[in-house]
Amino acid sequence: MATEPADVLIVGAGASGGVVARRLSEAGFKVVCLEQGRWHDKAEYRGAELDWELTMRKQWSTSPNVRGLPEDYPIDERDADVSPLMFSAVGGSMLIFAGAWPRMLPSDFRVRSLDGVADDWPLTYEELRPYYERTDREFGVSGMGGDPAYPPGGEDPPLPPLPIGAGGLKVARAHTRLGWHWWPEPNSILSVAYDGRRPCVQRGTCQQGCNEGAKASTDLTHWPKAIDAGARLVTGARVRRLETNAAGLVTGATWLDDDGREHFEPARVVVLAANAIGTARLLLLSASSRHPDGLANSSGLVGRRLMMHPFANVAGLFDEDLESWQGQFGCSIESFEFYETDERRGFVRGAKWGLAPTFGPINAALPSRAGSQAWGPDHHLHVRSHLGRGANWGLFGEDLPDEANQVALSSSLTDSSGIPAPELHYQISDNSRRMLDFHIERASESLREAGAHTIEVDRLMRFSGWHLLGTARMGDDPKTSVLDRWNRTHDVPNLYVADGSCFVTSAGVNPTSSISALALRAADHMVETRFDQQVPL
Amino acid sequence: MSGSAAPLDAIDPGRRATFAAIADRLIPEAHGMPSAGAVVGEARLRFVLTARPDLVEPLRQALRPELGDDPAGRLQTLERDEPDAHGALLLAVVGGYYTDKDVRDRLGYPGQEAKTLYSWQYPVYLEEGLIDQVLARGPIWRDPATGRRAEAGPGRTEETT
Repeated sequence: MATEPADVLIVGAGASGGVVARRLSEAGFKVVCLEQGRWHDKAEYRGAELDWELTMRKQWSTSPNVRGLPEDYPIDERDADVSPLMFSAVGGSMLIFAGAWPRMLPSDFRVRSLDGVADDWPLTYEELRPYYERTDREFGVSGMGGDPAYPPGGEDPPLPPLPIGAGGLKVARAHTRLGWHWWPEPNSILSVAYDGRRPCVQRGTCQQGCNEGAKASTDLTHWPKAIDAGARLVTGARVRRLETNAAGLVTGATWLDDDGREHFEPARVVVLAANAIGTARLLLLSASSRHPDGLANSSGLVGRRLMMHPFANVAGLFDEDLESWQGQFGCSIESFEFYETDERRGFVRGAKWGLAPTFGPINAALPSRAGSQAWGPDHHLHVRSHLGRGANWGLFGEDLPDEANQVALSSSLTDSSGIPAPELHYQISDNSRRMLDFHIERASESLREAGAHTIEVDRLMRFSGWHLLGTARMGDDPKTSVLDRWNRTHDVPNLYVADGSCFVTSAGVNPTSSISALALRAADHMVETRFDQQVPL
Repeated sequence: MSGSAAPLDAIDPGRRATFAAIADRLIPEAHGMPSAGAVVGEARLRFVLTARPDLVEPLRQALRPELGDDPAGRLQTLERDEPDAHGALLLAVVGGYYTDKDVRDRLGYPGQEAKTLYSWQYPVYLEEGLIDQVLARGPIWRDPATGRRAEAGPGRTEETT
């Protein structure tokens, strides 16, 4: 394959990989990306087909262990309270994410200072805000400015908000009566045509791929522009390890193609963008005599402090037909009413709520979220009471970092290339359980006020590990962090991590907006310091 | 998604009869809806197994004759001892039933429709002043500089902890 080293080699073509590739290639860098998945065409997605509720439970499951596709790697999750979810493809997990696009809040960056737990970030909300605004424009975010849950000022989302639906309106009115915060959710889903893409059609199947291309994913928003600017994207490329030289610099990546042939891609700089499980796995796989505990791991923190956001689902059932199978499966509305710490509640930090649609009739009969099954003559009453008549509050609780929650390498499980699979150890903390209990009660109150006659609760949803964070945290001290404040590893001066691994704390919001903004900030810094960058000779 | 007869070949006539009996027990005719046994014939079962070929083997296991003639007993045994086969059986029944056009029509479910957005329309929540009322309550974010709820204007600070 290539003999001339790339200026920058990126591993992973998802959210952060796409953002970095576009920024660097447009700045004139010679960029190469290795992606183990492939391109997907919108026509492949099943949302507009009769079988969508069948295939969403297997071929289009969000769990790689359920899908079991050749490009997926298995994950040993037997010792994990939550199942990790992801997708290997150009565009990455954005292909199957919901599209909700909230930012972190100012307090999220100062958890140690404010609440005496976890750690502060080495940057502030105000430092990140310009990057949020730029990535909002790059991805095409729909929303409404002025949310009083955030500091005033700055740019509003570039596109008008998406509809909130009949269920969202009922809950918004309820929150007005209760005096509780609510706001139209920002989503990286187009409310109007934008940047050559069509707007949302409210089909409600965002998590099985967007047939319209209205939901942002970097295969649509970033990679075509990066490739136009000269980036080379290699699909079906499974990276086995990163290589280093005697000077302690990374020199490139060894990878396997679909036929199992081994290649080496040389590079001056390497950026890992393979999510907080894939990146940690690769750093651990890159152990050598010089780095016996894995690459960039002098702190011992690579793979540790895994955070996945404990998630509860509270469903309200209403008498009226709300057509709640339709609407963006980002969210219609959100609430930050109980987001900030109030120690009288018996826990620190909080959770963001997002109101989501409720799927179709197969899910009404066999619920994948909160709810029960009914058989016999009552089955028909059960399905009629659920189909189109629900509103789902999804509660994302802040997951405090714990070094015992970690990604390790399995000694027995491998992927289809024979490479050791990741093994997860992840337990929900008592703080998280108390937090979810409190928020479940408040969310139930919200839905009852909205008129729900029945409340159904999933107190800790197992298949909810969409948000993979924290396994190579950033910080100023090399002894207690893997990355510096610009996402560069302390140990290896030409190795960066651009994905959610860098998170110091998890906040309590969907993270893709923040992952993208942080990746753009890191890429900007790489451009600004290009002439000072240490590279292998 | 049109399929050949292939996925159904693995489900012999005896198993199909068992499937129909179980389908009728799970979803009987009632409340103006037909039974699943009547709805999920060859065409619907073929549809399900074509969409989900991974269900064929666990469904075969769930319908094996050794489990006897009593649908209720079979379901109990499967749920207790063979959750994968039990899950495949339920999904095959439900999947076949709720992809049937007549069943969906009776439920008033048209499927996941593409609807045109009219983003220039003024949202009802703005007309009703709901956003104004959220704004009237002032900021709710916590200012890291003070640890307290941010000030809406000069002299206004609220405790959050």
